[in-house]
Amino acid sequence: MGGVSYYLNVVMSPSVNYKDENIKSIFIYIAIVILLFSPQVNAIQIISNITADTSSLSVTQLRRIYSMRQVHWQNGIPIVVYVLASKNPLHQKFCREKLRLFPYQLDRIWHKLTFSGYGVAPIEVANESELIQAIKSTKGAIGYVENLSEVKDVNIIKIGD
Amino acid sequence: MLTSLKLVIRPEKLSNYYLSTLCSLCLALNLNAAEVNNEKLQVHGFVAQGLINADNSNYINNDESLSLELTEVGLNASYQLNDDFRIAGQAVYLNGGNRYHAGLRLDYLLLEWNAFHNDVWQASFYLGRVKNNHWLYSSTRDVPFARPSIIIPQVVYFDGFRDVAVGGDGAAVKLSYSDDVFGEIDFNFSKGKSAISDDQADVVIGKFALGQLDHDLDTQASVYWRPPFSPWRFGISALDSTFSYESSQVDNFFDSDFVFQFYTANAVYEGEFWQFSAEIFQERFVTDGFYFPGFQRDDIGQGYYLQASYQVTKAFTVLTRHEAFYANKDDKNGTKLAQSTGGLVPSYFGFHNDNMLGLSYNFSNNFRINAEYHWMEGGARLSPIVQPDPIANDSKNWQVWAIQFMYWF
Repeated sequence: MGGVSYYLNVVMSPSVNYKDENIKSIFIYIAIVILLFSPQVNAIQIISNITADTSSLSVTQLRRIYSMRQVHWQNGIPIVVYVLASKNPLHQKFCREKLRLFPYQLDRIWHKLTFSGYGVAPIEVANESELIQAIKSTKGAIGYVENLSEVKDVNIIKIGD
Repeated sequence: MLTSLKLVIRPEKLSNYYLSTLCSLCLALNLNAAEVNNEKLQVHGFVAQGLINADNSNYINNDESLSLELTEVGLNASYQLNDDFRIAGQAVYLNGGNRYHAGLRLDYLLLEWNAFHNDVWQASFYLGRVKNNHWLYSSTRDVPFARPSIIIPQVVYFDGFRDVAVGGDGAAVKLSYSDDVFGEIDFNFSKGKSAISDDQADVVIGKFALGQLDHDLDTQASVYWRPPFSPWRFGISALDSTFSYESSQVDNFFDSDFVFQFYTANAVYEGEFWQFSAEIFQERFVTDGFYFPGFQRDDIGQGYYLQASYQVTKAFTVLTRHEAFYANKDDKNGTKLAQSTGGLVPSYFGFHNDNMLGLSYNFSNNFRINAEYHWMEGGARLSPIVQPDPIANDSKNWQVWAIQFMYWF
């Protein structure tokens, strides 16, 4: 990451006089590529109980699941959605990065379902380790973790566009 | 000093048996919330208590005193019977002073059948007592933390019609579609009727009507659409309902039929800090009889509200709203209404406007305080609408303020 900053500083520095603007563009592209492929520390990973036979989901599909618009996996097993509390930093990061929603939007959907009788909300657990345990032990469960390296015996789901 | 501030609170209103029972249940169940909320059984609830005051109006009480009649308690449970069927129910205790009758209500009790589902479609049927799911806040109007303010826009969510408009005994269908091209589309349809108790009838038609008011049938439909990954959501809805009034042997009023039709369009914007919502509507209220045999009235009313909120900090939000309504589009300032009643009903009963400012602060994930002030104008959304009370509401301009604490799980 330090390298990226260096490149950007050099490229953006007004003291550098380029003969060809194309060179500047190439530097910017290189910087962006390095940024994109930098190893991500503690990236959020979507995991499910091993009974869910799904290895990848689009953002739209993940949104459908978390907004309770899709309640069964493709193999027919009911989906059981687990979450952390709305103000939990991991939950907030999950909403913004994976669902591209603000946490209050999900809260609104879930409150409406729960208190109108038209549906159920996800099950809220206290912390990440409880969430992992629930996903391991609950048929059809889905959730998210930040430290995947410490998690075993779950199905990992990649999120595409 | 106390007298000048009208701090005359009537605590006996809170001594209701149901309230204490529900509060105890909520607290007891919340202690075991983690154990109760497994994948089949879910239990949730809320408790809210506030202070409210209305000046120059009997909106809350007849002596215009500061009141604790701002109580909302609810408890619900949902149980998944198998992959396709679920049962759910909710009981609420409400006390809103003159806004609606105080007491315990069975809010909904239904059987859900998840009839069809694939990658993009989901179809569910609901049978039993179902809630009105057609307007922006109709299904959460009594849920303090799931509505935008303590008093929601009276132009659409008129408290006097609350018990009829909140839902009914019948059936509902919900059809959902979503994909990357069309976004999210929801279609809702419901048919049912509400049982109207004598207390509820008093709110709608007044205490001097001694006969029986019945809700014959209610048909509603709505469509909502959110474009793919859009912060906007749009909706339209339609309602057609009929009521009948059977006069008693000794009565001030006569047998009659009422028709109420209501059409709405709405838009919502959900941004990171800013939120906007608006609903525009037209209503048709047909009266056949009631005041005297053969009496006919067919009024078309129109209204709207615009609402904006801004999240100042993670916990603190400011809300403002403007709403306007007139009961007869051919008599927007109520002049004809005043003339037709020989001046008994003042012209300001022909319309209702409100400008409000509200504050909201979240102490935690499930504990919040709301405070708001309303500058009201007109009496067209004051109960009972079929018999306006110009003595208790002798001012065109009236004001309401309220503070409410709410807890939910």
